[in-house]
Amino acid sequence: MNPYNIREALLAKHAQHVVLIHFPIALFLAGVAFDFVAHFTKRSAFAAAAYYNFVVAAISTLPVVATGLLAWQLQLEGQKLKGILLQHLLLGITSSALICLTWYTHFRSRRDFEQAPPFFRLPVELLAVVAIAMTAHLGGYITGVNIPS
Amino acid sequence: MHQQKIQKLKTKTLGIAIFALAFFSVQLAGSSLPLHSAAAAEVQPSATAITIDDFSYALMQLETAPGTPVTWIQKDDAPHTVVSVEHKFRSRALDADESFSFAFQDPGTKEYSCSVHPRMTGKIVVK
Repeated sequence: MNPYNIREALLAKHAQHVVLIHFPIALFLAGVAFDFVAHFTKRSAFAAAAYYNFVVAAISTLPVVATGLLAWQLQLEGQKLKGILLQHLLLGITSSALICLTWYTHFRSRRDFEQAPPFFRLPVELLAVVAIAMTAHLGGYITGVNIPS
Repeated sequence: MHQQKIQKLKTKTLGIAIFALAFFSVQLAGSSLPLHSAAAAEVQPSATAITIDDFSYALMQLETAPGTPVTWIQKDDAPHTVVSVEHKFRSRALDADESFSFAFQDPGTKEYSCSVHPRMTGKIVVK
């Protein structure tokens, strides 16, 4: 594969999933950090930063889920998954749902009440962080980046 | 006041639902994940067996006679496949201790790779 061939790079089957996944992970983790700071300091600037991180994190989960499902179809021809691959799929869907739910919780608070989001969002965000970490660990294991060189 | 109570109730219900969803997803994934499948075929290594481990095929090239089955034995914890470059054969994703066999009938060099890890490649020379 030629690294300077744009067509090969863009159509590299599951390679896009591995690239795109970094966006929701980084944005969501940054959002959680901002949200916790906002919660304990009561500073609205941090709350706004958290919200916009969650917005883009939620949006970026869409191509990540799409490319993950495409990888399943293209690399493994949609065969019934088991083992680490199934775990990665289920945890990935759970993580994506929790990211979108976190965004929606913040969105509702801003739209309907213009008040602080409900407290339960904080444990949900922590749960999402754990789910994301487990998904990412398995993803790294599947791709082989975790093995010693 | 009544509205606020209803809102709080909705919020609690939503929170419980999220925890339940996450919990059952992890349980479902965990319960269906034998790393060492009981149904995996027991295959003893032989001259026509290729072990898969540490993200590589143990034999980069194997010579065999036409009609002799070649067996790939998966010993890695990460899933791997055995896929013909010319689309002549294809295994499913193999977990640890699972295997895949294929008998080559036509002479020639048959190249294959792992579809999950394209850098894993190998050759079977049939003659």
